[in-house]
Amino acid sequence: MAKKNTNTLLILALIVGLAFHGSAIFFTLESTYDALIHLFFADHYASSWFDPWEYRWYTGFTVQSYPPLVHQLIGLLSYIGGLKFGMYTVALIAIVLFITGAYRFTLLMTGSRRIAGYGAVLAVFSSTFVETLHIFGQLPSISALSILLHSMTEIYLWIKTGKTRYFITSATMLAVTVTSHHVTPLFGMVFFIAPLMGMAVMDAAREKVESYKKLTFRVFWGTTLQHFWRIVKFGFTAIFLLVFCIFPYWYNSKRNPITQVAIPHGSRDNFLEITSSGLVFFIIPWGILLFILPYFFYRYFSKRYVFFGLSFALLTILGTGGTTPIPLMMLGEMAFNILTLDRFTLWATIMALPIFAEFAYRMVEGDLKVLIQKRFGAVYHRVLGGLIAGGMLFMVVFTMTLGYFRPSQPAKIKMLPIVNFLGADSHDSWRYLPLGFGDQMAWLSAQTRAMTVDGNYHSARRLPELTTRAIERIENSKFRGVEGIGSLQQFLTVPEKYNLKYIFSNDKFYDPILYYCGWQRLQQLENGIMVWEKLNVAPIPQIMPKQDVPTIMKVMWGIIPLTTVLLAIFVNIQMIWVRLLKSKKIPAHSFTKLELPYNKFPSRLLTFSHWWALLILICLGYGMYIFYVKNVTQLSPNNLVESYYDALDFKEFSRAHSYIDPDENIDIAQYMLEVSVTDGILSSYAKLDSLGIEIYDKTENSAKAKVATRWITPLENVFNNDHHELVKRNNKWYLKSSKVDNDIPPDQLFTANGTTYYNHGRRKITTQETYHEDVLKQPVLEILSAKLVKYKGQYSIVGELQNVDNTPADIVIKATLYNDKNKELANYNAKHQIKHKLMPKETTTFKINFEGIAWSSTKDTLPPTFNPDEFTPVSFEEQPTKFNLQSAGNVANTDLYKHVALQDLEYTEQGFNGVLFNSGVQEVTIPQLIISYYDVDGELLWVDHKFVTEGVRIQRKQFFNYKPLELDSLKIITSGLENCFVNGSPNKAIADKIFPNRILKHGRQQAYPFKGKGYEYLKFEINSYIGNPK
Amino acid sequence: MRTKILIILSLVLLSCSSNKEEQPKKTNPPNITFTTVMNTSIAGEAITLNFKTNLLIANYKLQVKNAYGTILLNPDKSATENITFTIPKNFTRIAGPFRWKLLVNSETLDKGTHVIATNAPKATYVESYFGPRSITAGYNDFSMLTISPTDAYDNPLDNGTEVTVKYQFLENIDESKITTESFVAWYNVASTLTSGRILVTSECNGTASKELTTIVYPSNAVNFSISAASAHNFADGNQIITFTSDIIKDEFGNIVTNGTLVTFVIKNEKDAYLYTIGTTLNGIAIAKTLHPDKASKWEIQAFITGAAESNTTKFVFKPAIKDYPVHFSQGNRNIDIGPFESFMKQLIPDGLLVQLDIYDEEGMFIESKKTTTKDGVCTIFLGEYFLPDGDYVFKLTAAGITKEFTKTIYGDTIK
Repeated sequence: MAKKNTNTLLILALIVGLAFHGSAIFFTLESTYDALIHLFFADHYASSWFDPWEYRWYTGFTVQSYPPLVHQLIGLLSYIGGLKFGMYTVALIAIVLFITGAYRFTLLMTGSRRIAGYGAVLAVFSSTFVETLHIFGQLPSISALSILLHSMTEIYLWIKTGKTRYFITSATMLAVTVTSHHVTPLFGMVFFIAPLMGMAVMDAAREKVESYKKLTFRVFWGTTLQHFWRIVKFGFTAIFLLVFCIFPYWYNSKRNPITQVAIPHGSRDNFLEITSSGLVFFIIPWGILLFILPYFFYRYFSKRYVFFGLSFALLTILGTGGTTPIPLMMLGEMAFNILTLDRFTLWATIMALPIFAEFAYRMVEGDLKVLIQKRFGAVYHRVLGGLIAGGMLFMVVFTMTLGYFRPSQPAKIKMLPIVNFLGADSHDSWRYLPLGFGDQMAWLSAQTRAMTVDGNYHSARRLPELTTRAIERIENSKFRGVEGIGSLQQFLTVPEKYNLKYIFSNDKFYDPILYYCGWQRLQQLENGIMVWEKLNVAPIPQIMPKQDVPTIMKVMWGIIPLTTVLLAIFVNIQMIWVRLLKSKKIPAHSFTKLELPYNKFPSRLLTFSHWWALLILICLGYGMYIFYVKNVTQLSPNNLVESYYDALDFKEFSRAHSYIDPDENIDIAQYMLEVSVTDGILSSYAKLDSLGIEIYDKTENSAKAKVATRWITPLENVFNNDHHELVKRNNKWYLKSSKVDNDIPPDQLFTANGTTYYNHGRRKITTQETYHEDVLKQPVLEILSAKLVKYKGQYSIVGELQNVDNTPADIVIKATLYNDKNKELANYNAKHQIKHKLMPKETTTFKINFEGIAWSSTKDTLPPTFNPDEFTPVSFEEQPTKFNLQSAGNVANTDLYKHVALQDLEYTEQGFNGVLFNSGVQEVTIPQLIISYYDVDGELLWVDHKFVTEGVRIQRKQFFNYKPLELDSLKIITSGLENCFVNGSPNKAIADKIFPNRILKHGRQQAYPFKGKGYEYLKFEINSYIGNPK
Repeated sequence: MRTKILIILSLVLLSCSSNKEEQPKKTNPPNITFTTVMNTSIAGEAITLNFKTNLLIANYKLQVKNAYGTILLNPDKSATENITFTIPKNFTRIAGPFRWKLLVNSETLDKGTHVIATNAPKATYVESYFGPRSITAGYNDFSMLTISPTDAYDNPLDNGTEVTVKYQFLENIDESKITTESFVAWYNVASTLTSGRILVTSECNGTASKELTTIVYPSNAVNFSISAASAHNFADGNQIITFTSDIIKDEFGNIVTNGTLVTFVIKNEKDAYLYTIGTTLNGIAIAKTLHPDKASKWEIQAFITGAAESNTTKFVFKPAIKDYPVHFSQGNRNIDIGPFESFMKQLIPDGLLVQLDIYDEEGMFIESKKTTTKDGVCTIFLGEYFLPDGDYVFKLTAAGITKEFTKTIYGDTIK
């Protein structure tokens, strides 16, 4: 045996790995999916090590729902240099552990230190590692896997030699693995340790006979029986460690089983259909390894590795997600929907590393090189080597920069202004909600004591509004379609349920729904985040519910993880010392004797591999061709329309302009002017959801397209049908431009006077409660009418309300339904069928729908597509017969724009055609019509609404169309004002005092006599959302 | 083993039989005389309770109980002859009675009551509240001023303490004297008939409170009148018509609050109800809307819902456009409409709505096309994807003038 030199390749791998990954993490880790979540957990341990209850997310959850080691390490290190220091340090440790782990694993598998060196180098550049670290940020997973790799040598030696020393080392390492990540050892047992034991027994059997040929099943079986007790002993120890080390975790899983609806995950997709998932969860982790797959299978299905072969094949198949039905069949419905399948690919690629290293060795300096040079010549060998190395580097660079070119996160947000805001003026006495923060919300939470209803660890979700839907966060609800927006709307409509008062909006998309749910803009922070607040929300109570666990669990959780690390270091330090410094000559392990001579690379395998590589290349080429054809914008009419709408969707107007027929001579400035003047829900707050393009009458140089678009807006779906004419000039298709509104306002400059309001808040600066005389009186409201009605099987309360005070009022109105026995059945707040801000003496009609928690019975099939205005009526077990209305007014000083007039209204066969006119000085972004229906006596029957999709600009008109409803099936269940309250006082008392001589006929005098089905009068009210108030 | 257990057991037993703990002292209770003369004091004064005893033992305790709680005191060490207890400050400062009990070994030897009076002479503080912060002019609304005078130690002063209430409204400054009852004095400030700001303050034992305010808002509006004005009365769909109210007042002649919402309801010649909104500024509400684009008769009435309404005023819009030409070309697919000439033969301002309703030969409605004029004209083009060749009825409506054509359209026009 050669003298044991320091393995230069390993040293090289460590240096390059630390330099490369170590510097790159500072640019990638914080924008990964998971890293900041771990940071938040770490912050929890840093501030309360032993108490597992964390109040800041989901109205409280337990951190015993995730193995703690990595979090605790970061938390511990944060005492030295802060949380981020801790995170980066742990990441650096993980990098070192991974490279050395790959080295030891390769050494164990191949028995060659040279090849192990190759393994270490390849591990540094493995695209799966790059992805897991730099895109997913799965620190616990990486740490656990690395330590598992380290422990494999020890486990092998225990099985093989039966020396207690190895038993102890393997057990301690396994314990560390368990406390860092629970899934890794759980599946690691099956996919790594079981085949490893098989291999150990196989090796022992091999030593009994002269060659692998003579190794029959009988020999193997005999050897297995010999080693049986070691296997059992280790097996039971492993299970014990898995249960004991994170016992509180299992205890918590039992107590709070995951009952929530599964969240769709890209790794379960069909990769051929959803190519982006295929890229992220298949192509990137496999990378260049895909080309060498035949070699892996060839090697892993040799006699020694056959158990690994089985495991490897299984992992490869499971990693394909929904592409083939096999994973679903193997895992079963339940496990398939809970597990993220990308981890199987991760393990498969890690398992492939030693064999890949072996391949590289044979390619660079072994028999493969000889064979290739012999068959194809030296140049070909070099070119091939260059291609493989180049391909690998390309994959690494590509993966690394994926987050740069296709950001998965919003731009980095400066948290300090938000943290300061929450800290000031007792703002943290209420819950807050970030919107559009991405995973950075965890970083915000880590920096403040304030609590949010949201959270970023979906397994710990507790609120029914969240667990019954497949959403991971409310924060990014727009990406979760109907369920997301539905959840968000529930929080926005009934915020007092969770003491939610502040919303930090980093995404303009949500602004309209915030406004229409009755929220108001408070201020824009210096980092550009808009703060929205809701009035009339009580602060969080001093005493909050908490799910306590026995002290022993807290102690176990706080002590065991770090103890396992200390034990592992203590037990292994001597060996590490010896191994690193070569201070003592240690006998070579038995597996090094099994190093193969590598003198004859099978020629047929080489041929097959070439064909395989060709096949892969053809597939890739075809994929890229499809990608090209689909994405070359002006190649076909279809592409053109798609690109044009894509450009409009992303507001890339100069790109959109480039698709307009150049012969029309519309210059870019003119085009921009025409496009950008239209404001409204479609042009400012919509996301194109689906695009149905129908090309017809296509000739050589012309075509027509009917484009059915569906836009997601925060308020509702908008369907549009557009017609376009397309022409082909110089082999490129172009779009003919459509007409614009030529309306010009009469005045260049005009004046407007109005009353504006300002509320000081606290006039006297104090850290105490606000002074009595600085508390404004709540404006007095009067409920003019209220009815419980049933329409289309759904109960609603409709009514009318007036601000009878002399100050503008913000209105919150809550209705509760009761049955005959006065049992409460449901309660809900008025959402958007009300004007939330009223001027003195202004009236509003309102409607309260009783929304249940959507899909609360998980049996209901989830709708496959987005529908923000989807509504789940609450299901009543009993008949509601009575209701109670609680309204509250608070002085409002914003969003009081009332200058949109109804300028024309005409009933035609298509419904009402109307014209809105904006006579004031603010541009109305989204006008909302609230339409109320009255019977012959002027009694309110029903309230409907319509959002006009385009805005009303100053001194300009906007057309709308509204189809009136048919109300003949509407049933009034009860009507009356007995149980109506305003600011806690009975409505009647207020009416008698403030409006003793109310002129009741005014209501009817202002309504439009229009005989429709089931009603006699109609009234249109306008509620205007202003996107950019001046 | 057994011996060991025996030894341990006996040791345990021995330790139990230690005779230190058990020995109930059956002594007679000592004779106690309460020697403090005063059983009243003023808040803040030091209080000591003295007792004379014939038996000097250490464990005398004094239990003191007042409305806030109970404490157990040890005698002062310095006074060995007589037993002296010093009542702590937080007890001596709270007005009202406190009860004491002298205890020895949980047995009550003596008990009594001491009464602490409020310390009005030292200093008087006045805490006052005034609410609601705004009221309505008229006869039945009021704000209540509540005053709670206290001594330096926050003890409410005795019932019957005199408090002076001062009141200012416009030129009028009043003063009246009231007395406290159950620790507070209150005074209802009745609303005035004139809107404005009422200031109140109070004074007790020479200490004045801060200034407190209530705002008297005007009462509900009474009927008012409105007028309409515009640059001209042609229905050009471009000018702005302004509706103005006179100064809206309440029944007492106060100008209604700024920001009061006035709805101007417009009934047009087709009995459609349109509206525009104004909010008052110094009692005047101004609302604007756009001229219609066709001859119309508007009847306008304004409301402050539930409270007041205005007269009905009329505004007649004369047609601005008498007629317009229509020209069909390119297989009747291209329709040029205009020029539109307004009342002075000028081209109408851009943006007049032109609507084309298309019907098939049988009169079945197919679709509407809308466009707006630019430089007095507009063009509608009916591409054949939209309308196949055939006979159609076109109804063109602009500026209230409808024209009907029956045309055959034909030909492909895509160049």
